[in-house]
Amino acid sequence: MLELNPILVKDLRSRMRGARAYILLTIYLLILAGVTLLLYAAISRDIGSDLNAGRRIGQALFFTIATVALIEVCLITPVLTSGSIAGEKERQTYDLLVASLLTPWQIVWGKLVSALAFALLLITAIVPVMSLAFLFGGVGLAEVLIAIVGLIVTAILYATIGLFWSALLNSSLGATSFAIGTIIALLLGIPFLIVIVSLILGSSVPSDLLDSVWFIYLSRFVAALHPFIALGATASQLAGGGDTFFEVVRTGSTNVVVPSPWVLYTVLSLIFSTLLLAASVRLVQPVQPGADRKKRVRKAVEAG
Amino acid sequence: MTPIVETHDLTRRYGTNLALDHLNLAIPEGAIFGFIGPNGAGKTTTMRILTTLLPPTSGEARVAGVSVTREPRVVRRLVGFMPDFFGVYDNMKSWEYLDFFGRSYGIPAQRRQQLIGELLELVDLAHKRDEPVMSLSRGMKQRLSLARAMMHDPRLLILDEPASGLDPRARIELRELLKELRAMGKTIMISSHILTELAEMCTHIGIIERGKLLAAGEVQEILRTMRPHRIVEIRVVAGAARAEELLRTHPDVLELRREGARAGTEVEEPPLDDETGPHTLLADFAGDEHALGDLLALLIAEGVRISHFAEQFGDLEDIFLHVTKGIV
Ligand SMILES: Nc1ncnc2c1ncn2[C@@H]1O[C@H](COP(=O)(O)OP(=O)(O)OP(=O)(O)O)[C@@H](O)[C@H]1O
Ligand SMILES: [Mg+2]
Repeated sequence: MLELNPILVKDLRSRMRGARAYILLTIYLLILAGVTLLLYAAISRDIGSDLNAGRRIGQALFFTIATVALIEVCLITPVLTSGSIAGEKERQTYDLLVASLLTPWQIVWGKLVSALAFALLLITAIVPVMSLAFLFGGVGLAEVLIAIVGLIVTAILYATIGLFWSALLNSSLGATSFAIGTIIALLLGIPFLIVIVSLILGSSVPSDLLDSVWFIYLSRFVAALHPFIALGATASQLAGGGDTFFEVVRTGSTNVVVPSPWVLYTVLSLIFSTLLLAASVRLVQPVQPGADRKKRVRKAVEAG
Repeated sequence: MTPIVETHDLTRRYGTNLALDHLNLAIPEGAIFGFIGPNGAGKTTTMRILTTLLPPTSGEARVAGVSVTREPRVVRRLVGFMPDFFGVYDNMKSWEYLDFFGRSYGIPAQRRQQLIGELLELVDLAHKRDEPVMSLSRGMKQRLSLARAMMHDPRLLILDEPASGLDPRARIELRELLKELRAMGKTIMISSHILTELAEMCTHIGIIERGKLLAAGEVQEILRTMRPHRIVEIRVVAGAARAEELLRTHPDVLELRREGARAGTEVEEPPLDDETGPHTLLADFAGDEHALGDLLALLIAEGVRISHFAEQFGDLEDIFLHVTKGIV
């Protein structure tokens, strides 16, 4: 019989044993349910007996749930992984793992999957609520599926960000701080960058630059680094009757076809996740004093 | 037979700090090797190199002929390690702790179950099988950790200060356990800075200081060769003054002192008085066994009445202090 990853077995055992997992899951669902109920109460009073009421309630429910779930995934997954490897170092169990026959890959993979298993549990828990929105109408199957893919991809990327810091640093507090810091920088930094750039470019730049192919690709690329922007843009495209996988950007002279933001986001996230995972594997080595470690970190960062 | 542990000019630097300086060590298979040295001597550094946790700066280390740098995975299979500081997991039962490390060493499920039972029995923790690891006492955790190090049936056990923080009873239990392990054919390398802790259970010792091996070999051998000269204890019932005079002028007696006097202080006036009771003299004697016999004959011939005449057996502690003297 093929044995499961030992780290995965151990971490799931202890993660699911304590009350913590259930408390976290409960809080998560309570927040979702609370927001949904509030929203429903607010909308249903306004809309009255409109023929389209069901559709609009369905849409509002869907987008709210998806947004709240995305925020929660963004914050919870990096916390789940950032404590993982650094926690072993802190507990002085790390050397025992490294000195065993476990490979660095097994250690990193086990840590990632055990955190993702929990994140997937959180994501699965919202599927019934989303189906409810689906029943109200106004939301297509494609939207629901894209939302779920987006959530999963985000969970993977943000989990590997936490994992990377966890493999790099020796304290779980430090790793968690840096992971949260990275994520805040991403979530706030990218919109900030977009606003600044569009303010600067605003009116003073000739429109043929804005219409150039490379500018279109670059702007889509930057936007696709941000889950809320990418998924939000996809949603509005779909609502406007756009294609599920492609976006046609009309410029003065030609039409430029680019992948839909969610597709770009998914591809980019998976690439970055892979790089971060590879860097983490390289960092999993016995705890070593100053000089060596710094050298290795530099190497790993270059590799990543 | 190749020694199970072999190092050649093993050197390790931390920045400019030389932690190991051309260490040449050999441990024969089946030995209990006591690795002794003061704090910061390089014991942990050596052990971490042997367990592949630390790369040497230069030189070579082999376990059962396998290089720790070239084939670390093979070495890991051969070595069971118990670090000086180790953690345990909360939220985990004793058997799960062993089960996890069994999995980490790729031991098949069925064998693992059987092993966990046997090892818990061996370290006397069978009754704690379903207890959380965190609830065990320090001595129990230490024993559980030893069972963990045994999970993959290593040929060499490397234990870094396993007895630190244990009470006397737990130490004795540990010692018994190590003897049992040795009987099972394991080679055990154990470090300590407390000599008496090792003296009784080791077959071999190595004394390290400042990264240099000062002495190594069989315990008896070390005891014999490292002692430069013997201390003879003489209890004089009558004729103490005469005995003192004879001993002080004897060519083989390097130093003479009265019992109770501090080492290094020569006998001072006034001479001993037999009225004040029997006196004990300690003579630092450089001669051999025959010369010692002659000395006793001389004293008796001179009318000194002796109730006790015996060589003091210096223990490892003395040797340790002697060998490491002056370097610190
Ligand atoms: N991670 C490290 N970084 C820098 N120097 C270190 C490191 N680990 C050990 N050293 C230095 O190496 C030398 C040997 O240390 P080591 O831990 O091997 O000694 P030890 O014999 O195990 O001592 P102790 O009895 O205190 O455990 C010491 O001078 C120590 O300061
Ligand atoms: Mg040490």
